[in-house]
Amino acid sequence: MRVLTFGWEFPPSKNGGLGVACFGLTRELLHKGVEVIFVLPKTQDTMGDAQFRFADDERLLKVRHTDALLKPYQQAGSTVDVIVGYDKNGKAIIRSRTIIEEVHRFAHQAALIAQEEDFDIIHAHDWTSYLAGVAAKIASGKKLILHVHATSFDQAASDNVDPAIYKIEKECFDVADKVVAVSQYTKDIIVRKHHVSPDKVEVVHNGCDTHEPERLPPTLQELKKQGKKIVLYHGRISIQKGVDYFVQAARRVVDADSNVIFVISGWGDMITQVIEQVGRMGLSENVRFAGALWESDRDRMYQSADIVVMPSVSEPFGLVPLEALQHGTPSIITKQSGVAEVITHVLKVDFWDIEEMANQILSSLRYPTIRHQMVTEGKLQMQGMAWRFAAAKIERIYRSLLQYITT
Amino acid sequence: MLTVCPYFHVHQPYRVKRYKVFDIGNDTEYFNDNSETDLNNRRIVEKVAEKSYRPTNKILKELLDNHPEFRFNLSFSGTVLDQFEAYTPDVLESFQELVATGRVEILADTYHHSLAFFYSVPEFKRQVEKHERRIKQLFGVKPRVFRNTELSYRNDLAKWCEDNGYLGIMAEGWEKYLGWRSPNYLYRPAGCSKIKVLLKNYKLSDDIAFRFGNKEWASWPLNAETYASWIHSHHGNGQTINLFMDYESYGEHQWEDTGIFNFLRAMPEMVMRHPDTSFKTATETVESYEPTGEYDVPEILTWADTDRDLTAWTGNDIQRDAIAATYRMEEAVMKTRKRDLIETWRKLQTSDHFYYMCTKWSNDGDVHAYFSPYKSPYDAYIAFMNALSDLQLRVNHAAAEREEKDRLKQATVAKEKPTDTQEPETIEDEEEKVVERPVEEVKQSPRRWWEKIINALPFFNQKRQGGISS
Repeated sequence: MRVLTFGWEFPPSKNGGLGVACFGLTRELLHKGVEVIFVLPKTQDTMGDAQFRFADDERLLKVRHTDALLKPYQQAGSTVDVIVGYDKNGKAIIRSRTIIEEVHRFAHQAALIAQEEDFDIIHAHDWTSYLAGVAAKIASGKKLILHVHATSFDQAASDNVDPAIYKIEKECFDVADKVVAVSQYTKDIIVRKHHVSPDKVEVVHNGCDTHEPERLPPTLQELKKQGKKIVLYHGRISIQKGVDYFVQAARRVVDADSNVIFVISGWGDMITQVIEQVGRMGLSENVRFAGALWESDRDRMYQSADIVVMPSVSEPFGLVPLEALQHGTPSIITKQSGVAEVITHVLKVDFWDIEEMANQILSSLRYPTIRHQMVTEGKLQMQGMAWRFAAAKIERIYRSLLQYITT
Repeated sequence: MLTVCPYFHVHQPYRVKRYKVFDIGNDTEYFNDNSETDLNNRRIVEKVAEKSYRPTNKILKELLDNHPEFRFNLSFSGTVLDQFEAYTPDVLESFQELVATGRVEILADTYHHSLAFFYSVPEFKRQVEKHERRIKQLFGVKPRVFRNTELSYRNDLAKWCEDNGYLGIMAEGWEKYLGWRSPNYLYRPAGCSKIKVLLKNYKLSDDIAFRFGNKEWASWPLNAETYASWIHSHHGNGQTINLFMDYESYGEHQWEDTGIFNFLRAMPEMVMRHPDTSFKTATETVESYEPTGEYDVPEILTWADTDRDLTAWTGNDIQRDAIAATYRMEEAVMKTRKRDLIETWRKLQTSDHFYYMCTKWSNDGDVHAYFSPYKSPYDAYIAFMNALSDLQLRVNHAAAEREEKDRLKQATVAKEKPTDTQEPETIEDEEEKVVERPVEEVKQSPRRWWEKIINALPFFNQKRQGGISS
């Protein structure tokens, strides 16, 4: 079975959970003997074939670069500067394009690729690839699966969605043969807001990396020596992520215990607003901004924290509590997240319930047994959440669609 | 001769509200949730009264009235009796009516439905005594057969009961300790010489308590006739069929629409249709039969889960942490001699609190196996530990106050009356003074509710005083 896959990006490109999900899923599909042709838009930090970590599966994996330039997490109105060619003097000709233009350009390339390649089924990851998937379906007549990692409603953290993105979502869902959602939470949005029939939407929860990571030398040593407790936020700083609620909870916590330090690791369009909020609330001594942390810096932070908070207002899945768990740190997560459906050994709170969030932070710091147990039992539970289980479900969906063609 | 010995266990805990860190030191009420959730104790008691206690007691009373041979046992936690008294006094009266027939026996128990025996025998003893006084006060009877929280049992508990004058004790009839032997005989607990152990026939008990309404069950729907025939099949290889279950099986665990009430209504008659089959209370049972062998249980045995152990209460770290923290306070709490602090501490010993922290199900995915009013075991733990932390503060405060008082007193005594003997201290007594109603009055309790109705209706009174005035 050969699958024509459209996606954003692959690790080690640094953009968040989407690349990690595409990587994990593709790796396990390849292990199952599914051939994957992964089509990526060309981005500035795109790595070549050698960067993909599929040592023994390389022969099965073809990577196609189109010349569309997409950046994740952008709104429809955002523009990007693109080198469209070079003048006689070798100087780059730069033009601004909107993300919507890029999405259409990606789709145009997708139609061409679909005519060149031989494959059985099409799988498109996230909204920037939906039009590409639809174009490939029209060009080839093959079945199309759209994989929803987030919706416009999550990014807006409200009903005030970007109409251009909503239009693409809605029209593409209607054309697709199957829609895969990363959680029941996301499925509910698709059914309620995009009016897609529930029968058409399958839930396939994301998996996670289950190997035991190496213990790194701890960070924030000088704080720990003073007996400070570390509460970590790690993620993008945008309205969807609820960092402002996290800061409000921090105020409530610090009022009760000034020995708690809040570390905000990440970057995003709300960073200035959050820094101002911290100043305004008089929290400068208790909140530290660590910038965007990646790789071992991020892992060290996970390992050094006493508890991690994922305060998302709307989170289709949410990898952070699983990453934290892998590094031996328990989490508090909001109920407005997909990962809350699959993990039991965390504390769950409504994003708007500042008082309860603060209560959970203080209580978990106060009673170490609860943190210890959430980690030991959570790690056991995580063993059942490996990517191979998600890949097995995806393969079943492929087969259920293929039946109509091959038999 | 084959007799049936049913016992229904009546219990409701005082659930801890969502007590937050910020409440510590500010709020001394832990059990007064007034939301529309299942943490609202009054709401639960009123709901279960409507669904289970009232309709079931009505049927039990009819059965006692119609069948002079019908007998059964009840066991109450003190916490449920207190809540009946506060929230649904009519339910308490209906239980008093049942007991007043003389054919309903009450079993001994811990007042606070605790696992105290396994953590502190002195505290356990105080709770059993408190329970006994309460039963005497409300029902005018003295329990003679013991059952422990969650039917938990061990050889040394049986020995304790024997040493304290009980005739019998109840336990799970479990193959691990029974081997090839039948639970339908009496046994002698290992290390004991007088007391007898009554073993639960878990198959026949659980057919009612757990399986009755299950449509997947091969014997569904179960009718009283079939059930009686299962009992009768033990004629010749058994003396007593001990049916132990939660009272709330009737109407609450098994809803009315399963047909559970009709089953209960018909069951005694069906059982007694067979000659030589009837009912006995626990005391009658132990007085009628001799033990046929020894029951040796060196480890804790309960009626829960497939493991029949305490892992649903003490199986994980947060449960063990919470229960250990609770019993660590014993000396400090008792030293305060403050009744409200001791009572609150005991309410926190109720086993249900630790059950809500159970995470056993999370590993086998059976989310519905453990009922809890909390959203998660961790929420239960946090609420409990915060409440316990507040109680610790209050206990420390009371201890400091007492010390200060003693110091002042000593100083005064030394100054004014150096040779005089110390004045008797005015202290709040650890145990409330039990005002026992005369037994005769208790025996008249069936008439008391009747009189209450008459007194509530002026119409009746006027008539009695000499006709309706025109």
